Amino acid sequence: MTDESEVKVSLADEPATIGSKRVLGIVPGKPIAGERKEPAKKDMVMVWPHLLVRHAVAALGALITVLVVSVFFDAPLREIANPELTPNPEKAPWYFAALQELLSHFHPMVAGILVPGGIVAGLIALPFLDRNPSLATKSRKVAVTAFTTFMVVWIILTLIGFAFRGPNWGWVWPWNEWHGEL
Amino acid sequence: MSISSERSSTLVDRFRDTAVGKAMFRSPSRVTPRDRAAGHWSNFFLHLYPVKMRRKEISFRYSYYLGIISAVLFGSLIVSGIYLMFFYVPSPGQAYANIQTLQTDVSLGQYMRNVHRWSAHLMVLAVAAHMAKMFYRGAYKPPREFNWVIGVILLVLTLLLSFTGYLLPWDQLAFWAVTVGSEMAAFVPLIGGRVQELLLGGPVVNSATLLRFYVLHVAVLPSIMVAVLMIHLWRWRKDSMLDAAREEGDD
Repeated sequence: MTDESEVKVSLADEPATIGSKRVLGIVPGKPIAGERKEPAKKDMVMVWPHLLVRHAVAALGALITVLVVSVFFDAPLREIANPELTPNPEKAPWYFAALQELLSHFHPMVAGILVPGGIVAGLIALPFLDRNPSLATKSRKVAVTAFTTFMVVWIILTLIGFAFRGPNWGWVWPWNEWHGEL
Repeated sequence: MSISSERSSTLVDRFRDTAVGKAMFRSPSRVTPRDRAAGHWSNFFLHLYPVKMRRKEISFRYSYYLGIISAVLFGSLIVSGIYLMFFYVPSPGQAYANIQTLQTDVSLGQYMRNVHRWSAHLMVLAVAAHMAKMFYRGAYKPPREFNWVIGVILLVLTLLLSFTGYLLPWDQLAFWAVTVGSEMAAFVPLIGGRVQELLLGGPVVNSATLLRFYVLHVAVLPSIMVAVLMIHLWRWRKDSMLDAAREEGDD
């Protein structure tokens, strides 16, 4: 026996016991079954309480916002519906204001069907069109640019349709005359 | 043990030790992390959550908590909406007067209507913002592709719920907004006229429209919403565990 092998296999004079098992020797080195991945346990946290407390704060924040806003602002109620009297301007709910704005520039087939249908179809198809596995913004330039452009255009169209359009869908400045409806 | 006696001094833990408590919770007292995990798994209200998550996943900048905010607003809409249902009849002869009575003569009527209205607008914003945040995080990529698709369906359902609710007060705002919105349906190729007629129950917005939108708003769409939302949350949990397992090399 060489000195080296004596270091590797050490026999204890008095076998230690762990649980109900006697430890006869400790063999350094890799396990026979091959390399095992060590889970990085440190990075995992229990959902209760760490996430649930944060969710509770976010939920209460949203709820309190609504409850306070509702004290100070009443939901609008105009005159009773009258099919004979068309208001001018006629406005769709604000989340369709971008579509209504498009409707004033394009054929209804385009603004009312192709664009909204295309947006929903595009969003559904997105994960199957964008096969770039990267999560870093830097390496997703095409997807990020396309989506950001869409969002900016959509928000601008919504704002125009909501606040910058008055009688006969003409241009107005919201600080001069207000036609937005919630 | 000092830990367990300390823990069981709280009221909840003492209740957990009674026969009723044991029957309800079926989990050991919370001493070790394993006990806490077991308690988590056996709790109905927590079963939509994973037991553990990666630390970065619970941070504010990972999600801005927009998902839970959307869900809470939906809850607020259910509660305030059920309250409003007690005082509302979906017929052109009564709907508008019902809203007026609700605002003047019903306890908390105006307030509940406000809560319902502002929750609805905020929910559209929150769901849209949630989608945008998920896009920028790349959360539609494998293994979450299908949950993104479910999310898009939830966004469409949110818009439909909001739009069908918009008609119910039967005022000028409601009537003409829905007239404008549904005129677009007429331009669907070939079947446009039929789609519009199916939606409105006639060529223009009328009493049949009000009834259809009401049934869609209080029964059909909320049921679909709850069902699809449950799938969304269940998959969120599964995908989160899948991702963690893949990244951490779990067995």
